Amino acid sequence: MFGSVLSALSVGFLKTLEIFGLTLVGAIPLGLLICLGSMSRLQPLKYVIRCIVWVIRGTPLMLQLLVIYYGPGLILGDNWWGSGEHGRFVATIAAFIINYACYFSEIFRGGIQSIPVGQNEAGYVLGLTKSQIFFRITLLQVIKRIVPPMSNEIITLVKDTSLSRIIALQELIWAGQSFMKSAGIIWPLFFTGIYYLAFSGLLTILFNRIEKKLEFFRV
Amino acid sequence: MKSVKLLAIVSVLCMTLLAGSLSAFAGEAADSDLAAIQEKGVIVVGITDFAPMDYKDDNGEWIGFDADLALIFAQEIGVDVEFQEIDWDNKILELNAGSVDCIWNGMTLTEEVDAAMECTGTYALNAQVVVMKADALAEYPDVESMKELSFAVEAGSAGEAVAVEAGLEVNSVQNQAAALMEVAAGTSDACVIDKTMADAMTGEGTSYADLGYAVALSSEEYVVGFRKGSDAAAVLDEMITKWIQDGTLADLSAKYDNAVSVAEAAEDAEAESEPESK
Repeated sequence: MFGSVLSALSVGFLKTLEIFGLTLVGAIPLGLLICLGSMSRLQPLKYVIRCIVWVIRGTPLMLQLLVIYYGPGLILGDNWWGSGEHGRFVATIAAFIINYACYFSEIFRGGIQSIPVGQNEAGYVLGLTKSQIFFRITLLQVIKRIVPPMSNEIITLVKDTSLSRIIALQELIWAGQSFMKSAGIIWPLFFTGIYYLAFSGLLTILFNRIEKKLEFFRV
Repeated sequence: MKSVKLLAIVSVLCMTLLAGSLSAFAGEAADSDLAAIQEKGVIVVGITDFAPMDYKDDNGEWIGFDADLALIFAQEIGVDVEFQEIDWDNKILELNAGSVDCIWNGMTLTEEVDAAMECTGTYALNAQVVVMKADALAEYPDVESMKELSFAVEAGSAGEAVAVEAGLEVNSVQNQAAALMEVAAGTSDACVIDKTMADAMTGEGTSYADLGYAVALSSEEYVVGFRKGSDAAAVLDEMITKWIQDGTLADLSAKYDNAVSVAEAAEDAEAESEPESK
């Protein structure tokens, strides 16, 4: 019994890891784009982007998953995700990337705006271009400053992956619950907690290391 | 000041867009849903893990009373079957969004189901039973004696409806499994769930070995649901009538330890069998 539960939970956990990994890969660059958009001097662009961030951060991720997965079929009459597990997975990744990119963008914006303007001015005086200033002076300092809030958000992501069960994606919590529904056994559901704990523990150690590595920036 | 105004306009615009797209809700079925399924070459059957109707065998293949029946139906209309596990709360959404073609999972015919789906006739019977600690069963022989107990029921389920009708004090939880867990954990005194499920999930070999049931609140009917307006429901309905008469359903029930009570044939056949006493 323990063996079959463990193997079913591990299959679910793999799905959870896939959501986690792909979300980070997609949301970090998209977040940077959204961040630059929300600081743009082009006023309409800035307000549209900030409005999108407001909607995404202001509504539950669970609701966004439902709208993104069922919306096309219900509203447009064409279920473009296709049937089956694959469609659910793609829709989940899309929802998570959009949601997390918006949160990341605000962290990035905070990081960039926390760098003193004097450094920019000094850069101009030395004849550097805007992009040279951003990539050679600002960016590394920003990375150092956003590590703690990013680690916070990324650890939240580990657990948020469980929300995807609302559109019947078979991740870790789904795998645990299925034993409750089919065999009437409760402990596998609670046992999923061990997986989340172990994985977020690993991430905590990783982020501590990164923070230590970046300590040489301290003045 | 100017920017505040602009922000207000943009927000209003977003809201209108959102509201507009939501009100454009339209789940119109194609001219012939059956033809669309046949063209696709596969029927996607929405299920949950629900023994003995739909569950996985040791090789991970879907079997069960409903799963086997769905396979026969698919053969008859010349398509493959794809079983898709869904969240039971979202079954109507799944149908209307086109991510599944039918719901075939020991679904009780309720007013809500009848209004939202194109349903077949009854193919099996079920009951809503009161599950509680087995050693307390003797103390509560009927509904009257249960008035002071607290009940857990699945939100929106048939069990909830009959419990409320019987004047019982209910707490709605997410699903039937959660309702059972409430009873096991002692957070509710009893729960009202499907008889089919109670048979499968209580007793030896489960986490609910000390639970049991004695009282049934209602009897009800299992149907298969298609998208509203689908012509596939009528086609399946004809086959069901045939399967009841030629014993296909009875044989299938025997295969699953007679855990499923097959429906009686409709009107005329029923009149014939009525004089026989059981």
